[in-house]
Amino acid sequence: MKVRSSWEIQKSVIYALFLREVNVRFSAGKIGYVWVFLEPLLQILIFVSVKILLFGKRSSFDYAVFITVGFIGYNLFRHIVNNSMSAFKSNKALFAYKQVKPIDTLIARLLVEIMIMGVIALVFIIVGFYFSYDMNPENLGMILITFVWLIIFAFGFGLFVSVIGFFFTSFTKVVKLVMMPLMFISAIFYTLADLPPSAQQLLSINPLVHFMELIHASYFHSLTDQFVNYTYMLIWTAIPLYIGLRLYVRLSKAIVSQ
Amino acid sequence: MIELKNVTKYFRTPHGKKYLLKDVSFSIPEGVNVGIFGRNGAGKSTLMRMLGRIEFPNFGEIISKKSFSWPMGLSGGFQGDMTGRANVKFVCRIYGKDRDDIEKALEFVKDFSELGDYFDMPIKTYSSGMKSRLSFGLSLAFDFDYLLIDETLSVGDKRFKKKSKDALMRKIERCNVLLVSHDMGTLKEICDVGIVLNNAKLHYCDNIKDAVTMYDNINK
Repeated sequence: MKVRSSWEIQKSVIYALFLREVNVRFSAGKIGYVWVFLEPLLQILIFVSVKILLFGKRSSFDYAVFITVGFIGYNLFRHIVNNSMSAFKSNKALFAYKQVKPIDTLIARLLVEIMIMGVIALVFIIVGFYFSYDMNPENLGMILITFVWLIIFAFGFGLFVSVIGFFFTSFTKVVKLVMMPLMFISAIFYTLADLPPSAQQLLSINPLVHFMELIHASYFHSLTDQFVNYTYMLIWTAIPLYIGLRLYVRLSKAIVSQ
Repeated sequence: MIELKNVTKYFRTPHGKKYLLKDVSFSIPEGVNVGIFGRNGAGKSTLMRMLGRIEFPNFGEIISKKSFSWPMGLSGGFQGDMTGRANVKFVCRIYGKDRDDIEKALEFVKDFSELGDYFDMPIKTYSSGMKSRLSFGLSLAFDFDYLLIDETLSVGDKRFKKKSKDALMRKIERCNVLLVSHDMGTLKEICDVGIVLNNAKLHYCDNIKDAVTMYDNINK
């Protein structure tokens, strides 16, 4: 057999795993593939209707666009973390091929999620143009940076949870439990500015709130990043990623062997 | 050559550590087929998995520049929702085969496994015999310095057994095998040297017949 560099090997493994994930998730006869698009669409429809019914249509910005970017960010985070948590267990049998390293399965799943999000965003942009929504963002560059940051945050957090969760299953359960109300406490369909100070303080504990506020602030002229704590975001990105990687380096052989 | 340096391997059990190997050092010379003997639970498969780098010693190291196959006959690595073809493609990709080589491998595996139309059906519709045939064909589609075989020489019906054995014999003209089996006949036929595992000790016999005798003595 020809000798390949470790980077070449990892590249082909990630590529193969990526195709495998796509193949499994979008194989014919599965509802999964409709659901990928239906889920965000339903979320947005429900929240937009509720808002209009309760508070009327008046707003300083387009609420449908506001909610769409929020849900795209939130879904991206949630799907990356959830899929990371199950990656080691569902790919366990593949570790019999020695080139397949556990972290490759996380990276492959991350790429699948980014791709799905890209497609969904594209679909929404086309739909938006068709119905001539005002989608012009205030600062596109900042939005993209925040999304990349959000992806790194989600990956680090997912890595951290999956390494610990592989050895302590109950840890995964706790994280899942904590993440359940996340949709309502992440400033997806409201801004902190609309809330009383006590609620603002409480919700600011959730790191995802800062990402959402930053995305919304970069999108709409009428919103500001007054509640965004960049240091707090950085801490939540760096610490889980660092601990996750350190633990992974120590425990990857044990994950392969189990 | 495969070199084991102070290899210790144990599993933790509720009653303390159970040692499979305790500070074992030895080397397997170039170009021999190795049979691995030992009673159930003696650590044969673990030794094989360690040689294949999918399990690791607790202490010490195993050094070799050779390439090793995955434990042959392994069907756990198949994804049930995917077709046989897609699963074979996946393994080809992780081994870095290019498009042409993948096509060749697909042809070979389809032909060898005799799956016919099932080759394009999800693996979850396969019988266990069909899965073994696919996995056996898949292992033969790659070139390794060492084939790791864990008691999977007998798959399928009588005719298929003969066919796979013939294919394997042709294959091992160009490579070596590490074989775990309880079938003394096969071991004697294929292997040149033997390793006997017993009570966390490893005995190396440079004649397969000595290994068989030693193994018989252990079982007395």
